[in-house]
Amino acid sequence: MNIGAADPRVIIAAGVGTVLVALMVPPLWMLMQDSVTTTDAFGDITGLTLQHFHKLVTEKRALLSLWNSLVFAAGSTGLSLLAGGVLAWLVERTNAPLKVLAYLVAIISMGTPYVLHVIAWLFLLGKVGPLNDLWRQLTGETGVLFNVNSMAGMILIEGFLWSPLVFLLLGTTFRAANADMEEAARMSGASVLDTLRRISLPLAMPSLLALALFVFIRAIGGFEVPALVGMPGRIYVLTTDVYESTISMPPDLGHAAAFSVVMVAIVAVLLAFYGRLSKNAERYHSITGKGYRPRPFDLGRGRWIAGGLIVLNFVVVLLLPLLTLAWMSLLPFLRSISLAGFASLTLKNYRAVFTAQGYVDLAINSLLVAAGAATAIMAITALAGWIAGRNGPGGRILDQLATVSLVFPGICLGVAVMEVWLRVPLPVYGTLWIIGIAYVIRYMPFGMRYVYSGVLQLHRELEEAAGVAGAGTLTTLRRVVAPLLTPSLVAGWLFIFLIANKELAIAVLLASPHSQVIAVAIFDQWVNGQGGELAAFGLIWTVLMTIIATLFFVLTRRGGVDVHGN
Amino acid sequence: MLSVRGLTKIYGDRADTKAGGVRDFSFELPPGTFFTLLGPSGCGKTTTLRCIAGLERPDSGRIRIGDITLHDSETGTTVPMNRRGIGMVFQSYAIWPHMTVFENVAFPLRVAKDRRYTREEIRTLVDEALGTVGLGGYADRPATRLSGGQQQRVALARAIVHKPRLLLLDEPLSNLDASLREEMRIELRRLQQQIGLTTVYVTHDQAEALAMSDLIAVMIQGRVAQMDEPRAIYFRPANEFVASFIGAANLLHGICDSAAEPGDTGAVALDDGGRIGCIFPAGGVAGRAVTVSLRPESLTIAPRVDRMDPGLNTLAGTVVAGSFLGGSARYDVQVNQRILRVTAPSDLIFPNGSAVSLRFSLDSAVVVG
Repeated sequence: MNIGAADPRVIIAAGVGTVLVALMVPPLWMLMQDSVTTTDAFGDITGLTLQHFHKLVTEKRALLSLWNSLVFAAGSTGLSLLAGGVLAWLVERTNAPLKVLAYLVAIISMGTPYVLHVIAWLFLLGKVGPLNDLWRQLTGETGVLFNVNSMAGMILIEGFLWSPLVFLLLGTTFRAANADMEEAARMSGASVLDTLRRISLPLAMPSLLALALFVFIRAIGGFEVPALVGMPGRIYVLTTDVYESTISMPPDLGHAAAFSVVMVAIVAVLLAFYGRLSKNAERYHSITGKGYRPRPFDLGRGRWIAGGLIVLNFVVVLLLPLLTLAWMSLLPFLRSISLAGFASLTLKNYRAVFTAQGYVDLAINSLLVAAGAATAIMAITALAGWIAGRNGPGGRILDQLATVSLVFPGICLGVAVMEVWLRVPLPVYGTLWIIGIAYVIRYMPFGMRYVYSGVLQLHRELEEAAGVAGAGTLTTLRRVVAPLLTPSLVAGWLFIFLIANKELAIAVLLASPHSQVIAVAIFDQWVNGQGGELAAFGLIWTVLMTIIATLFFVLTRRGGVDVHGN
Repeated sequence: MLSVRGLTKIYGDRADTKAGGVRDFSFELPPGTFFTLLGPSGCGKTTTLRCIAGLERPDSGRIRIGDITLHDSETGTTVPMNRRGIGMVFQSYAIWPHMTVFENVAFPLRVAKDRRYTREEIRTLVDEALGTVGLGGYADRPATRLSGGQQQRVALARAIVHKPRLLLLDEPLSNLDASLREEMRIELRRLQQQIGLTTVYVTHDQAEALAMSDLIAVMIQGRVAQMDEPRAIYFRPANEFVASFIGAANLLHGICDSAAEPGDTGAVALDDGGRIGCIFPAGGVAGRAVTVSLRPESLTIAPRVDRMDPGLNTLAGTVVAGSFLGGSARYDVQVNQRILRVTAPSDLIFPNGSAVSLRFSLDSAVVVG
């Protein structure tokens, strides 16, 4: 090596660092600036002010939104943890039957846009839905048994939305747990329940707490359920408040920005806790045996009850929503489920989806933006993650830059990115590019996690051996690191591709009539009352995404890559 | 004390004779026996142990401790694992990281169903158990801050604290480094003798088995190849597998020259020439093909002389490789068509190509099949 020649890693780090700064810093800066300034009608800054924050603490509505957000997040976290946790334990640690159903739910949910699920649930539990219908027929009442547009309805639906992910993540925890720990308790004389209470649960507790916090953070930033379920019932949370003040005429961006800053601060604090908790969780994993093999609990006759729970989860979380969508898609107009309805079943909606140019364009747009963003992210994080994982120059800074956008709830990032690109003299606003840029910012942390943990799994000596054999840094990167990292890169890519097509919050403020993506289109159509076509389109889309989700699942299972990428 | 009859547990296809598990295994242990299940991985030793523990359900067979039946496939009785009153040490120790050393050891007392222990009793019993394993004073240490050897001792204390009827040890030393392993080997044996606890020990390490056991069962593919005391296993291997698995035996093939009563000596004509006197533990039939086991250390190597010593076998050979091992030296000696391995005192030096004589007593050459 030439003395004095620059380490290629420094050049790479500098280049990647510049890109990351350009992506991550402006949105954060813009939010903070907007929250403390007043602007004129052209968006130019006219002065500094604290009035936006002042309003937050004095207006009753603002405080109510904050309170609602906390209740909503806590409730849905609790519900999803309970449902997903019990399921994960049954599937991973017992001899319950029909386990494959639980995976089916998880995989298909992974590919379905949240907004589609929410719509199905709205119909199921709604005024004309089968639940209230049945109740009216049984009792002769005219009202409703359950008002879905309530906090309870929001918590219920959001809880079901998250339970498949909880199932997958806790499943990993339970699978990795050393079965010797439980068997040792049984050999010491403890019953199954004693073992669960005194050994299994305390051992899983750090992971459980970390996961609870993770879901809580995601629920605080959740938008689909608050917008579709909460807003019609006039129940506002932080995210819907930000959304409303952004789309209102004239938009109150100061208010939205101030709210966003508050949310970002809350999430940042929670994330700091999360980091400590997950470290704690790893500490418990440090004592594991060599002779590990999974040995499930024998539930005896109870295994059929367990099987029943697995079936119930399958029916409630997957089958009912899908059947509902199928029903909606086969009717010319939305009506409750009845015998009379069967007479009017038609494939008209499906024909419309395949013949109308709009739907095909929409699908292509969505796939293009998601694929483009996933590719850009993996390209950036492959370099950044490698430097960070190997403690290269500026590694820690790169890691923090790439993951800083975790603090953005999707809707806040939407506001921030919109503000940034309204002021940049490039024709980006109103095109698909701005949605792509927002995706890149938002999902960069996921890509980083996949690459980083992938790098840590690669033995450093593999690279050193290449170096000793005469390869330079770039050759080593290209010939050794990149091929070995491929499983992590592909898993990360698929994960980002799936989640980008699934989430609504980021794109909802950035999409225009000429640049629609799938989740936004479904949202708009539902609001406009075009339930049939959207259900038909949504079902077709779900099939497509399920194929990709299956691919992702097989890959992560085989390669042992962590499923959540957090 | 412990009695196992016809224990069978097969994983997968029963008709497949190579399928993992254990087949028709029976043994009786007098109280206080240190019994070792020895064999390569997949031989069924761990399966046997887990069946006794109640962690696996046997396909058939009966397991009893004293006059208490733990499992009987014929009557369908099975005592759940947490009611068997057995102590067990796991290969990974399975020390619960969310508890202190004290709480780990106290656990069996706290969850006991047959009686409630008072706080004082628990304290006394735990201190006693920790004292026994040499961990007095470690009670309040978090379990995450223990070395491998200490974890091993905690696991042992936890296994004996409730005075079990039987102690099961599943390769407890395999996760320790070499020097610690040797120390713990002696320590474990001393403890077992001190407590007088009947112990079933699983290992794939023949040195451990020979050093610690009263009785060894050598297992292969789910069956017992030989069950005997350590010296007999070593010096009188019952078959080729045991001879080659325990120590590195030279195996010679030949034809039995004359009939021999069980335990008598007889002559074997080796396939590639020469004739040696051997011991026939199971008797011999003239004209039958036999295999003879010859331990490397029972061969004496010396410069070649053409003299036959009465009562000793002598083979002439040539050194083809030698290595100095510190305490001993190892030579590969070509005798006719085959290479014999010889362990010699390390002060004897034979360069490659040396013409040597190998001598060995008649009863060190054992017919194994």
